[in-house]
Amino acid sequence: MKLKIAPLTLALLAASTLLHAPLAQAQKKYTIGFSQLAFDDPWRVAFNNQMTKAAEKHPDFKLVIVNAQRDSSKQVADVETLMQQKVDALIISPNEAAPLTSVVKKAYDAGIPVIVLDRAVLGEAYTMFIGADNKFIGSKAGAYVAKWCGEKNYNPCNVLEISGLSGSTPAQERASGFREGIKANPNVKLATSVTSEWQKAKAVPAAAAAFQGNKNFQVVYAHNDDSTEGGYIAAKNANLDVSKMLFLGIDGLPDKNGAIVSILQGRLGASFVYPNGAAEAIDWADRILKKGEKPPKKVTLGTDEITSANAKAMCEKYDCEAK
Amino acid sequence: MNSTLLARPAFRKQVLLHTAVRFQGFLGLLIVFLLGVALAPVKDETNLFLDVTNQMNILRYVAETGIIAIGMTLVILVGEIDLSVGAVLAFGATLTAHLLTTTQIGTLLTLIAVLISGAAFGFVNGAVSSAFRIPSFVVTLAMMSFARGLARLVFGGVAIPLLAISQGGAAPEDAFFVNLRLGGVLPVPALLMFGVAIVASLALRYTPFGRHVYAVGGNPVAAHLSGVRVEFTKVLVFALCGVLTALAAFVHAIQLNQGAPNDGFAYELNAIAAVVIGGTSLQGGIGTVAGAVAGAWMLGMIDNILNLNNVQADVQLLIKGALIVVAVALQRLQRRA
Amino acid sequence: MPVPPPESAAAVADGPIRLSARGIGKRFPGVVALDKVDLTLRGGEVHALMGENGAGKTTLLKILTGIYTCDDGVIELDGHAVRPRDPRDAQRLGISIIHQELNQVPELSVYENFFLGRERRHALGWLDRSAMREEARRWLAQVGLALDPDRPLRGLRVAERQLLEIAKAISIDAKVLLMDEPTTALSGDEVRQMFRITRGLRDRGMAIVYISHRMDEVFEIADRITVLRDGRFVDSRAAGDYTRDALITQMVGRPLPEFFPPETPAVRGAELLRVRGLNVVPRTGKQSLTDINLHVSAGEVVGLAGLLGAGRTELLEAVFGVCPPSMWSGDIAIDGERKVFHSPRDAIAAGLGFVAEDRKGQSLALGRPVGENVTLAGLARFVSGGVIRLRDEAQGIDAAVRALRIRTPSAATPVGLLSGGNQQKVVFARHWLTQPRIFLLDEPTQGIDVGAKAEIYALVRELAGNGAAVLLASSDMPELLALCDRILVMCAGRIAGELSRAQASQERILDLATRFGHGGAQDDPRKATTA
Repeated sequence: MKLKIAPLTLALLAASTLLHAPLAQAQKKYTIGFSQLAFDDPWRVAFNNQMTKAAEKHPDFKLVIVNAQRDSSKQVADVETLMQQKVDALIISPNEAAPLTSVVKKAYDAGIPVIVLDRAVLGEAYTMFIGADNKFIGSKAGAYVAKWCGEKNYNPCNVLEISGLSGSTPAQERASGFREGIKANPNVKLATSVTSEWQKAKAVPAAAAAFQGNKNFQVVYAHNDDSTEGGYIAAKNANLDVSKMLFLGIDGLPDKNGAIVSILQGRLGASFVYPNGAAEAIDWADRILKKGEKPPKKVTLGTDEITSANAKAMCEKYDCEAK
Repeated sequence: MNSTLLARPAFRKQVLLHTAVRFQGFLGLLIVFLLGVALAPVKDETNLFLDVTNQMNILRYVAETGIIAIGMTLVILVGEIDLSVGAVLAFGATLTAHLLTTTQIGTLLTLIAVLISGAAFGFVNGAVSSAFRIPSFVVTLAMMSFARGLARLVFGGVAIPLLAISQGGAAPEDAFFVNLRLGGVLPVPALLMFGVAIVASLALRYTPFGRHVYAVGGNPVAAHLSGVRVEFTKVLVFALCGVLTALAAFVHAIQLNQGAPNDGFAYELNAIAAVVIGGTSLQGGIGTVAGAVAGAWMLGMIDNILNLNNVQADVQLLIKGALIVVAVALQRLQRRA
Repeated sequence: MPVPPPESAAAVADGPIRLSARGIGKRFPGVVALDKVDLTLRGGEVHALMGENGAGKTTLLKILTGIYTCDDGVIELDGHAVRPRDPRDAQRLGISIIHQELNQVPELSVYENFFLGRERRHALGWLDRSAMREEARRWLAQVGLALDPDRPLRGLRVAERQLLEIAKAISIDAKVLLMDEPTTALSGDEVRQMFRITRGLRDRGMAIVYISHRMDEVFEIADRITVLRDGRFVDSRAAGDYTRDALITQMVGRPLPEFFPPETPAVRGAELLRVRGLNVVPRTGKQSLTDINLHVSAGEVVGLAGLLGAGRTELLEAVFGVCPPSMWSGDIAIDGERKVFHSPRDAIAAGLGFVAEDRKGQSLALGRPVGENVTLAGLARFVSGGVIRLRDEAQGIDAAVRALRIRTPSAATPVGLLSGGNQQKVVFARHWLTQPRIFLLDEPTQGIDVGAKAEIYALVRELAGNGAAVLLASSDMPELLALCDRILVMCAGRIAGELSRAQASQERILDLATRFGHGGAQDDPRKATTA
């Protein structure tokens, strides 16, 4: 391996100085670092798109998005790198609560405004948290199931829950909220709970395993629509009568694989929109950085219920891909 | 000694290539470091890559892989492989969290218990492979599933956080020594990695055990006929790899504030990549611990350089793959010459 | 030792010159590999090319077969100047080589290997398999191989694979056939068959170059011998004009006092090794041993003769503790004390040393430094407090390297880079270091050049002289006859007989070696299967 190191390095140094020169004179640009936990599901893709679109409305914002690929260790390193790049604000959607808490605190203590989105970290060492109330959404889903089981007069009304990654706050909250919501109907039994770790590919075998043991399920509730679709596939494979069942989830995305289209096509029965807060985050970043506002610690976003009754209207509202 | 042999061109070329392979880990590290300096963005007159904080961040990030890679080097040196390290790490990390939060035995005893658990896994790997003459690839592949399943079963499928919200209460304060920095600069995990590397290197160089490791990897039949206890050496090596994996698990849990049975996926691949890039031959008998650390460090630097330049995470995977191929090709070239 | 005159040296009139290489020179950066070398190959002649390792034989072969091009000199084939550009070109010109490591594909069939690279095709381009089968069958018959051309190559014995290569050479109408160490993996019978075919080819007018370290065979088959040394041409004479000593002297460049060390009357000391009623039932594929009785005293060199597969290696391994005790029964006593070795480790502790047959596969860690290989068995003497005293070890290695005259640039050189002879000396050094009282040697000079062989013979004599008991298994008759005080001949796993030095001769040994039929002549299964 005969590499001439000296000339190579000199060439690279020369090239890099050329690259860096233009940065010298420009007007004040704010760099917003967004540490996203993954790019690999449609909700996150929509999340990133909305973040990018929102940032474009501010010409003096430069948005940097990094992908932690669902690895908490990597996300810690990502945040450290963003800090190293001296971002003016940090927006983060943390992969897990405990692992990311210290590094978020480090950024916060260093004076960088930190906006936590979608999933929480532990403690209070951040500027603000914008999120939907997963517990609330879970309870709305539960209430819907309670109502549906009542209307169908099912007793017992067995529910298969497909949950998200067990270490994550949304999974825990969507689970506990749901359990609250179904209390409205004592005939609703949460028979089995499996995990798909948010992924459709894992939901299919997980649900299939549950159906192996027991075919008497009336409701399949997953913490995200993608996983519900996985449960639907497993149910069909297990020869369950899907026309008599209710499949519902959370996310309510408008893309062609999302809940709105699915409801229109008759697979999912209901879904609850899980807002990501991207636009709100950019807006607050602007207010904090340029206008020096002090934001509230917590901003809770609302939700929309989507069923066959209002699917068409929701499709219009969210500009869905069914047209 | 006879140096006229060096006059022969074919001979000289072989010696040169042999040396190149021995030092390829460090050479690569140096090249990557210089590339990093050259390509790094500069903000407020600071080269972001060269900055001490950044370099320390890199070291902290690679420490776990580095520690595992040291254990993996030993295993690969004797001509075997251990695919179970990721799963053993998951078990160890969860055990760490469990012991720290739900028992009162304290940090030191927790560490000892976790190291023993790692040794146990390693011992099983080595003993089963030896007794039933099953290739280590197969045994450790099975252990990969077994250890992870065990972790999920024993501790539930949930992550156990170390802070106050867990069922058992918070972990003792002194456990968080892992998050400290020596002299305010050098992160403890990196210190551990270098410490372990030094001990392992010394052992390989100065102890009969170390010599036996190289001999068994170089030619197990020759070692056997020379009176080396081949099977014993291998089992011991596997156990040591397990211990080091457990150490990494302890560090992992405390750094991440939780022990999760689902962690550690693909850690074995990172460790093996580090070992190979560092110049250790997968056939066995050739390689160094220092090379593995250099390999791990190099991979971490590359991640960092790409991050600082906002390159997609997927590109990092491509580069890692390419590096492994280059490293192995270099070794093949040397052997064929 | 007197050399039997080659069969037809005087009878052959000088055939036509088929290949003439004159003034061949080849340089690499920093070294001259060949300098004004001449080689004249005549049709109808077996021409042996002799020289130590590094003499330039391989380089010359590579030039003739197109792997290298020469810097100086001229090659003429049947009077026309040629310059082979690559192996295919050389083959086209009619220069064919049978490498030591055969270039064959075990998964393909016999005829596919036969036609490798020059397949017969139909007009439209696809393979004409039936034509190939037929042709292959015909050519194979010419060398006495009655094989089904469709059978896979795997499973053929090495001898058969070599004959396949020869048949190939004939079929492409080779003018010159180069044979590089063709008999290393052959049994006695197969060697004789190989020689028959070779003589047949010679009589048909082919020019044959024969390279081998085995002096006996060279004298048996060669009509002419050319000697190279340090890249230079030394001499070329009819084989009959050489004595063994003269040949060795030319190859080595200095008068060797004796190739074999002088006979010294064996100073018999205590009986160090006694084996009684040894029966070994080994793993599959190895020869079982029945009722072995032998003894070796201090200062004695006892030889183990026999055909391949007679069980010599199995015997040595059994004594050294390589077989677990469950596999053998009987009595082994070391210096009067009954011992049961569970592993070579025990044997080494009891004062035994074993030099295995296959030094690359069984004795050496090729990637590791010379020094580490030397001290592998005797590390304990340099260890204190659990730590190796590196400086003491270095001194020990130095002493060993000097004592055995091992040629290596340094102790850190990977042992795989050394020549075969020096590698073997490293193995010896390993056991020399532990100063065993009983040496077990299995084919210690196989594949080693002349100079190194002589040094090893001297070493064996020296070891015995210092009071060690040596048990030496070898297929090299002259070696056995010269070195051993007694020779035990094995056949089919039994001791067929014992010959004292005075009684021993090649004929008697061969006689005993086949006493129980050709029991040992089914080849050593390790040599039988293809790689």
